[in-house]
Amino acid sequence: MSLFESQSENRQSGEPERCLQANNREFNTLFGYPNNTIKTSKYNVLNFLPLNLFEQFQRLANAYFLILLFLQLIPQISSLAWYTTVIPLMVVLSITAVKDAIDDLKRHQNDNQVNNRSVLVLTNGRMKEDKWMNIQVGDIVKVENNQSVTADMLLLSSSEPYSLTYIETAELDGETNLKVKQAISVTSDMENNLKLLSAFDGEVRCESPNNKLDKFAGILTYKGKNYILDHDKLLLRGCVIRNTDWCYGLVIYTGPDTKLMQNCGKSTFKRTHIDHLMNVLVLWIFLFLGSMCFILAVGHGIWENKKGYYFQNFLPWKEYVSSSVVSAILMFWSYFIILNTVVPISLYVSVEIIRLGNSYYINWDRKMFYAPKNTPAQARTTTLNEELGQVKYVFSDKTGTLTQNIMIFKKCSINGTLYGDVYDKNGQRVEVSEKTEKVDFSYNKLADPKFSFYDKTLVEAVKRGDGRVHLFFLSLSLCHTVMSEEKVEGELVYQAQSPDEGALVTAARNFGFAFRSRTSETITVVEMGETKVYQLLAILDFDNVRKRMSVIVRTPEDRVMLFCKGADTIVCQLLHPSCRSLGDVTMEHLDDFAIEGLRTLMVAYRELDNAFFQAWSKKHSEVCLSLEDRENKISNVSEEIEKDLMLLGATAIEDKLQDGVLETIITLNKAKIKMWTLTGDKQETAVNIAYACNIFEDEMDEIFIVEGKDDETIWQELRSARAKMKPESLLESDPVNSYLTMKPKMPFKIPEEVPNGNYGLVINGYSLAYALEGNLELELLRTACMCKAVICCRMTPLQKAQVVELVKRYKKVVTLAIGDGANDVSMIKAAHIGIGISGQEGMQAMLNSDYAFCQFHYLRRLLLVHGRWSYNRMCKFLSYFFYKNFVFTLVHFWYAFFSGFSAQTVYDTWFITFYNLVYTSLPVLGLSLFDQDVNETWSLRFPELYEPGQHNLYFNKKEFIALETTYWTMISHFFIWGSLGFYFCVLFFLYSDGLCLMFPNVFQFLGVARNILKLPQLWLSLVLSVVLCMLPVIGYQFLKPLFWPVSVDKVIDRIHHCMRHPLPPPIRTKVKHASSRRSAYAFSHKQGFGALITSGKTMKGKPKKSSLLKK
Amino acid sequence: MKRTPQDCPSRLPENTAVKQQQLPACRLQLSATGILSGFFATGVFCLGMGVILILSAKSSMEIEINYTKICASCAKLRENARNFDKECTCSIPFHLTQTMRGNVYMYYKLYGFYQNLHGYLLSRSNSQLLGTDVKDVETCAPFSKSHDGTPIAPCGAIANSLFNGTTKPPSWPKPVYELDENDPGNNGFLNDDFIVWMRTAAFPTFKKLYRRLSRTQHFIEGLPAGNYSFNVSYNFPVTRFQGEKSVVLSTLTWSGGHSLFLGLAYTVTGAMTWLAAFSMMAVHLKLKGKRFSPDDKVKL
Repeated sequence: MSLFESQSENRQSGEPERCLQANNREFNTLFGYPNNTIKTSKYNVLNFLPLNLFEQFQRLANAYFLILLFLQLIPQISSLAWYTTVIPLMVVLSITAVKDAIDDLKRHQNDNQVNNRSVLVLTNGRMKEDKWMNIQVGDIVKVENNQSVTADMLLLSSSEPYSLTYIETAELDGETNLKVKQAISVTSDMENNLKLLSAFDGEVRCESPNNKLDKFAGILTYKGKNYILDHDKLLLRGCVIRNTDWCYGLVIYTGPDTKLMQNCGKSTFKRTHIDHLMNVLVLWIFLFLGSMCFILAVGHGIWENKKGYYFQNFLPWKEYVSSSVVSAILMFWSYFIILNTVVPISLYVSVEIIRLGNSYYINWDRKMFYAPKNTPAQARTTTLNEELGQVKYVFSDKTGTLTQNIMIFKKCSINGTLYGDVYDKNGQRVEVSEKTEKVDFSYNKLADPKFSFYDKTLVEAVKRGDGRVHLFFLSLSLCHTVMSEEKVEGELVYQAQSPDEGALVTAARNFGFAFRSRTSETITVVEMGETKVYQLLAILDFDNVRKRMSVIVRTPEDRVMLFCKGADTIVCQLLHPSCRSLGDVTMEHLDDFAIEGLRTLMVAYRELDNAFFQAWSKKHSEVCLSLEDRENKISNVSEEIEKDLMLLGATAIEDKLQDGVLETIITLNKAKIKMWTLTGDKQETAVNIAYACNIFEDEMDEIFIVEGKDDETIWQELRSARAKMKPESLLESDPVNSYLTMKPKMPFKIPEEVPNGNYGLVINGYSLAYALEGNLELELLRTACMCKAVICCRMTPLQKAQVVELVKRYKKVVTLAIGDGANDVSMIKAAHIGIGISGQEGMQAMLNSDYAFCQFHYLRRLLLVHGRWSYNRMCKFLSYFFYKNFVFTLVHFWYAFFSGFSAQTVYDTWFITFYNLVYTSLPVLGLSLFDQDVNETWSLRFPELYEPGQHNLYFNKKEFIALETTYWTMISHFFIWGSLGFYFCVLFFLYSDGLCLMFPNVFQFLGVARNILKLPQLWLSLVLSVVLCMLPVIGYQFLKPLFWPVSVDKVIDRIHHCMRHPLPPPIRTKVKHASSRRSAYAFSHKQGFGALITSGKTMKGKPKKSSLLKK
Repeated sequence: MKRTPQDCPSRLPENTAVKQQQLPACRLQLSATGILSGFFATGVFCLGMGVILILSAKSSMEIEINYTKICASCAKLRENARNFDKECTCSIPFHLTQTMRGNVYMYYKLYGFYQNLHGYLLSRSNSQLLGTDVKDVETCAPFSKSHDGTPIAPCGAIANSLFNGTTKPPSWPKPVYELDENDPGNNGFLNDDFIVWMRTAAFPTFKKLYRRLSRTQHFIEGLPAGNYSFNVSYNFPVTRFQGEKSVVLSTLTWSGGHSLFLGLAYTVTGAMTWLAAFSMMAVHLKLKGKRFSPDDKVKL
């Protein structure tokens, strides 16, 4: 944990509320706010060594070696020269330390660079340049276009009308679309008048520093009046000012207190199963070591009694050895030192190197590079690679993950007429394809060239001047919170909060109702070439409860109109009774849209009586100023006016699937990976998409739908589903049931249960809330896990995480969550592996993920190629690693029986020192970085190869197999033969005359290498040992697939077969359309700019020198 | 502002063999026939090697005369430390039935003498032996200094226990410079017997070279058959720790001495490999019809 966090937390507790005054440093220093220096680095020159060493010695193996070192310093038990432990320990510690130091150095450089940026600050009535780190709370700072915001500050004024300020928040949340902030009127009047600004002495009282990016509450007291501040007035550190020449801000939070810094707390550290297993193994190894030492100590005691006592002529007992028991006790520790090689000191370092290497492979993979966005895949954590080869459950978001989240205006129903289908001359409906002729929008200069529409009748209706059609498009061009930008005359660029809204406004624009610009009080629309300005009276914005939005405008003809669009279920209930028949027709059309998987909205309007509106408006503005329960009150007031609506029609928007989704899901299915879709969308939409991308198949035996509203029904639904899938699982005799009735207290694992067919399950968020409670939890899990695919709809972010946790807790298998939006962050963090798709919805998901890439279908490659390799490599590495340590150490155990258990080593001390570190490390590393058992084409072609990883077959407590490199690259050759050669070089060097004569007590084996290597016996024994070691392994490998064939062996057989007789390339399955039984009404929307736009109304309508269009 | 991809240089990863994991490699894949023939070949090699080694070992001659029991009375005498100055010799007669041709080496062989004890091995001073610092006896405990405090040369437990008819440092009868009275150049730390003894044995049963047959006169051919006897002046007590002593006469060949171990190990390995190869072939022929197409390969 970095230091500043703990500091700020401490201070936070003592700071219930922040209080500051502009331009008054003396007053503000009373509170001891930190200055604007940030420190993300962990160490400095002085504390690096102690702090880093302390951290490193928290690792079990490192701590063990430290203890060992101390043991070795005791002469009575020292059985090995001190350097045998010190050298490896030093090497391991210094590799890690250097890595940490480099990381920290980078952070230092970044910090310095950021802290030394300059910014204009108001001092003594003049703007002066100063460094970022010298900025203090209460300073007034000027930020210019394209500059980063220095600290969290209250926006005072800007160059733009109404003090609007455009910002980009890419550094904060990764979203690249512009956002708008707006100052309150009393400060925006100061504009860039330095006199006024220096005289400004407003006092701000606000909440203490916290990490909530979208929340801020405070009060500005200025000239005796109180003004409410919220997050719309706050410029956060990390944002960049765009399209705004300058703005002034009052610094509120500095340095570590800024929301940016408060947010970069450490993320929870994820550990893999292998990590855990490794720790368990190290513990077992300790136990094993202890028992070996004990046996040898006992042996020594016996030996001393029987032989050693009488051998004292030649070797008298040391004076401190009074009996053989004392000697045996000392010997226990001596062997504890000698057998240390069984504890793998370089294990952690090697594992880190391997994981790092395998992560780089992911970053380097050209096949996971997405050219349109110029983004390669990114392994953001380097610790989870092998887990990628063990995934059993994939939890996927829908929008933006399976779908592109690109919305296309496909169809609409206006006043009972359906538009959007294309018919040929014979009146037959035709599928839209590349060749279909597009509608010509050339009559409209403002049309978006990228927009395409195929049904000519709609354009004809527009040209004809059909009133209803005009009103429909007018409402689409007015009722939204899109911002427009017009850099070049006639080229409009829309900034929309949701892609649905963008699609609708763009459609209206093309049909001749182009939304051109807005101010807080007006909306300018070019209606069939004629510019009209509507006065914006109110925006009743969208939220998830209301599921609709409305605008109230005064038309140029001085009529007050309300336009509303929203989910059909909601809008239907608000319609005037006179539209009932039209409503029925429209509903039919909506059903048609839903069958095609289109997302739908209903559009309606209402003409308001001026007096009624005035009365309502008064009520509305009162409510808007209330402090308590504001949202609820606004919602109630809104309902008063959103009724008796006249239906205009409905829109249908296509949500396009991403490329390769279908194939990926089929492959994952074959790899026995279960796919659960967790989405916030409606059930119908979710199910529709599930069919479209083959999560649900038409051949499935049954799809169960759980939509109960209370415990009892949900329980019934789950049980009956299970009764169909596996009737015996309801019997008391079922092993799982009998196990559960014992009520084990320990966390337990629910075994895999095999149903009698292919089933799917759909559950909605409301039922899920009940199902996730205590006693239904297991019922849900067992039912859901029997199904091949599960869809949970209407999920809140928290519920997504809960579902992941549930599976994680009881299934004890590796889970993976993939998503792209902020609502997926919780599940991405909860799952073993979190994957962020850097897509349309911004990058919050990506920033919290372990791996990030642009397209869902890269998942296939990530799991089946990279994951599988990483897992196989890691398993081979660990097996080999433990194997070599055991072989090495057990020789000492064996030798003890011949050397009177006297802790004499067989090997030269230098061999012991270098064995792990120099002689054997590179071949193992080479193996674990370059080995490929089958190449990527085959692992993608045969997803069955993925299965062993899911059951963790290759490395478990039973498995200690020997090295088998199946993929000999040049580097492997170099490492293996190089290491052998190196061994002989070192041997000759260590046993050379020079060294032995210089340090006779350290290098004792003068000339041994020369003489021994001359003996034929040595070489003959060497050959024999190699034969004896290799043959059994080869024989076992030969017989294993014959006697105990597992599916993988069969697949490998087939692969070898195919290598010689190449298969024709696989036929690409054609994306089929969902069959027509399902319906979907969908709505994807986020809270818009509404409040911000209307807040301009509180300002005095003073003359502005320019409009928004000036740029 | 949305940034267009053209604004920044492409981040497409480099297309190198290492980064794309496309390094050219030979994949270790052996066909069933490959493995089986490999097994057979290895078997042939091992069997052949074994036969050669056994024959070679057989061609050397070795006789061992254990004199632990013959000299039991001397051993009894030596067990009592007070008798250190009493001489005790015993004669060990033996009959050589066959001439030992070529160079004949005489070894002394000790059973149950632990030259490989950790404490024993440490008790020596390499700098003293090298002559760099004769007074450096720190590492030699408990045989570092005599009662009057003068450093012992050579010091330490190994040197102290020099296997010899006679002994000095505490148990040496002669100082180090008088080890060989016949050859003045073979004395001090450079004495052959001393050097051989100081090269400690790895196992409690070991033999060390003592003398070579001087091939002159009758002995030009080697050691002719006939009756011989060793006269041992018994100085080295081993009976207290159940040790045994013997004298070994042996000739050498290219593959070492008379030991059959390596030859037998090769032969057994070869035989086992053949056995394994045959059974694997049987299994393969029996089961392959079920799972393999005739020339299918097996992953290794």
